Amino acid sequence: MTGPLERRAPRMPGVDPDLADVRDAQRDPAAFAALYRRYLERVYGYCFYLLGDHHDAEDATERTFIAALGAIDRYRDEGASFRSWLFRIAHNQLANALRARSRQPTTRLDDVPEPVATVSDPELLTGLADDARRVRAAVATLSEDRRQVIVLRFVDGLSTREIGEVLGRSQGAVRVLQHRALRDLAALLERES
Amino acid sequence: MSQPPSAAERLDHALDGVLDGVTPVAAAATAGTEPYGRPLVLLGADLRRILVAPPVAPRFEARLGARLASVANARDPVAWAMRHPGTLLVTGVGSAVGVGVTAYAVWRSTRRSSAAARLLHR
Repeated sequence: MTGPLERRAPRMPGVDPDLADVRDAQRDPAAFAALYRRYLERVYGYCFYLLGDHHDAEDATERTFIAALGAIDRYRDEGASFRSWLFRIAHNQLANALRARSRQPTTRLDDVPEPVATVSDPELLTGLADDARRVRAAVATLSEDRRQVIVLRFVDGLSTREIGEVLGRSQGAVRVLQHRALRDLAALLERES
Repeated sequence: MSQPPSAAERLDHALDGVLDGVTPVAAAATAGTEPYGRPLVLLGADLRRILVAPPVAPRFEARLGARLASVANARDPVAWAMRHPGTLLVTGVGSAVGVGVTAYAVWRSTRRSSAAARLLHR
């Protein structure tokens, strides 16, 4: 499993760390495999947290990567990073999946793995697992746009600028959404405790 | 005179620090989010720790990987031609016939117009 530090690609202003692999994939589509391996877990995580169902998340992930491979020739390094571009495709696939559902999506996040614990105290471990369940349940109650921001920010490690590119909103609007989502979560968790 | 950063902006800077590995308390202090924003920065750090990406089923990963590989191969014209040499041969023969027919038509029309010109000059 990917650790917290590995989940966040190194941020160097103006440099897209994926660009060399993208160029390779544009020359030789078989080279897309490197990008697939790098982003599969993150895209899948994004889809799962939004759809709440493993099968639907696999479906949306598959559509995302097939669409990305089909359009890789059209990707241009014009401000938006490759991962913003990829998550934008995933976002569109999620929008289609959510539209296709006749009922309101029920997000079941109970079967998400517990965070990797670095403590050996059983009581503390139990406490951490309980905290994780409470936090995930609280995230599932957020409105869709706020949940998107929380998942893209804290599961996938995107910056608010990148999230803006994914969601088609300004960075300022994403910052406000993030602020409100965290405030809502804090209030909810405080009420429960 | 520039506007001071909003609470949402200060919180965002602090969370950037947290995601880059700075301790939440230090990130909150550096970004100037104290005291109101500090609990939100701590919550952000908790979310980062707790919200892990669910594991991808190995069977799904392998199946999608194979599907992407087949799509990638289909998109590579050289690889495609190497897999279908018969089609390449037919296309080549077709092109050669087309070029031959065009050349013959051009030669015929040139010949006719020069014959007509000779008749006119008699």
